[in-house]
Amino acid sequence: MKRYQALLTLTALSVTLGACSNLERSRDLSNPQVSGNTLAQQVCSTCHGGTHMSANGNSINPTYPNLAGQQAEYLQTELQEFHDQTRKDKMAKDYMWGLSSRLTTEQMKSIAEYYAHQKPLPNPNQSNPALVAAGQKLFAEGVSDKGVPACASCHGANAEGNGPIPRLAGQHANYLYKQLMIFNSDAGRENHPEALERPHGAAMENISHGLDDLQKHQVAAYLQSLR
Amino acid sequence: MKQSNLLGKGRGPLLALLGMASLAASMDASAIPVFARQTGFKCVACHVGGEYPQLTSLGRMFKLTGYTMGDANDIFNLTTNVDRPPVAVMLQTARQFYTNTTPAAGNGTAPSSSFDLQVVSLFAGGHITDNLGAFVQWTWNKYDGNITSGSQYTQSSGIDNTELRWADRIVTPTKDIIYGVYTNNRSTMSDVWNTTENWTSDWIGYFNAGGAQAPGTFMMGATAQHAEVGVGAYGFLNKTWYGELGVYKSITHGPLSFMTGGATGSTGVPLLDPSPYLRLAYNKEWGPNSFEVGLHGMTSYAHNYNPVLNYSDWSGSVSTYRDLGVDAQYQYVLDPHYFSAHFRLTHEAMNNVLGVTNAGGGTPTNPTDTLNETWADVTYIYRAKYGAMLFYHGATGSSDTGLYGMGPTGSPNWQSWMPSVFWAPYQNVRLGYMYTFYTQMGGVSGNQLTGGLGPHDFNTSMLYATIVY
Repeated sequence: MKRYQALLTLTALSVTLGACSNLERSRDLSNPQVSGNTLAQQVCSTCHGGTHMSANGNSINPTYPNLAGQQAEYLQTELQEFHDQTRKDKMAKDYMWGLSSRLTTEQMKSIAEYYAHQKPLPNPNQSNPALVAAGQKLFAEGVSDKGVPACASCHGANAEGNGPIPRLAGQHANYLYKQLMIFNSDAGRENHPEALERPHGAAMENISHGLDDLQKHQVAAYLQSLR
Repeated sequence: MKQSNLLGKGRGPLLALLGMASLAASMDASAIPVFARQTGFKCVACHVGGEYPQLTSLGRMFKLTGYTMGDANDIFNLTTNVDRPPVAVMLQTARQFYTNTTPAAGNGTAPSSSFDLQVVSLFAGGHITDNLGAFVQWTWNKYDGNITSGSQYTQSSGIDNTELRWADRIVTPTKDIIYGVYTNNRSTMSDVWNTTENWTSDWIGYFNAGGAQAPGTFMMGATAQHAEVGVGAYGFLNKTWYGELGVYKSITHGPLSFMTGGATGSTGVPLLDPSPYLRLAYNKEWGPNSFEVGLHGMTSYAHNYNPVLNYSDWSGSVSTYRDLGVDAQYQYVLDPHYFSAHFRLTHEAMNNVLGVTNAGGGTPTNPTDTLNETWADVTYIYRAKYGAMLFYHGATGSSDTGLYGMGPTGSPNWQSWMPSVFWAPYQNVRLGYMYTFYTQMGGVSGNQLTGGLGPHDFNTSMLYATIVY
């Protein structure tokens, strides 16, 4: 009988404790009272963070982009696109649409600022040196006969980004390559704007289209290697 | 005969998984199981290549944080999101093909002529409060390997994997600490690495002709019927070190008996005294890779028949099963490629009571026996649509004619292989074909089994379709 009582007590205690709202450590994405900082630490960090430093915005798996040091304006824009379901690439649908659907504008702004203030760390994934060298040239010079301007002209000499233009330095090469492929596909959808997967990336469509597959890998490898 | 109840074990993973699994690319956006409704994730976010039950790093974290991540269905404040009901259903239809169709010999629990709806599971659960969540499953089986009507196996229904979990997560600039407590109705249900019995990926294998005969350790097999209730506590430090302690006991009456409703009282369901459960693991993630190596263990105190087991009779003698094992998992998760591999070796030392029938229905002839059970699997999935898997199940141990009656010497030695392929046209629909080869049973590979049969006579193949909604 004592054993049953112990079980019951534990269960009752759990329910009682659980009944208390825990705004400081909540993972509730539909409660506007939960701060952006809390959501970044309790939810976003699960994918966009490391292990013992999971709150730092430097992700482990290249499926998930690094967010540390990213431009706050860019992050907020993307969160809004996920929220509005206007960014329609596969990963956006698989992961971000649902997570962001009930976030408030204030929460999204706060999450964006949280990650903009995190320190980007060197990407631990090794880039092929041959790809890096070619990618560096593409980044600095573009491909003039294909109408591809130097990436650095918009993204900054160190790929640090600027406002709505994202930071690319240290980003996962796999993620960057996949985004270039999305922009590349969007270049063929100009007559069907509703089908654009990243409508706010229109500036990248022709640029991506002007890079062949190897060049996309090269520039992605270079950017991943940037400190 | 000591048996692992593949049916009982199988239905758990099946359902559960399906429930967590999410949903439907081309279907209505609300057409998704419980946890996907809550998080908005597609199946592939939390399951490797969308292949439930295998959990990705994200899936592990979702579970360890108490099923609370996502939108709240705030029951206490009555603000439940009616557009996202916290319920789901899983249906499995299949047809089995047996090498030997002689009834009661090479045949399995499902008639070979059937191509019918064989399993239905209902799920509920998810976020209850900021720290508390639940996973509740109920299952109906058309052909229960434990229940016969004439020469046919017949239907059963009852509670399946069910867990209430309270968890907290503390994130600082240099630390990530998760800790929690749970109560559930199946040892290993709490686990997140898919190496132990409740969540391995062979859930679709039930109704195999030979599967029900497979020797299994007590921890992995006999406790599979969701007829016990456990409480446990765990911690996960820096996504790296995991530790857990629990204790399980049969519940025959009282308020917690709802957690074993419909699962108690049939043959092969053990009556357990308090039995401790241990789990330790090291987890490492780098790039698209993750790796786990760990220890699992349980000492089970199971009442013997006295003389015929009455599920509320605690007076009988007790047999002891000490299980301790090592396990490992490797995963590669980076679209479009998904790969995973699992390995488990569990050693069991049995202390038997001679002259009485044990909880599994066998009457051992040795005071002590040992059994080593091996499990391994590999899975590859492309674009979360096309998959291939291979499972291996093996056992070696001391011979005991009272426990293992298939072969001539009472040997438990066993080997079986299960290759399968599947196609998931939508994330909540899966069509598959699985073959099970038996290469060793009862210590023999030739026609020396009871009735002049050989292991190959039990070979089974299966076409199946599952839908989760």
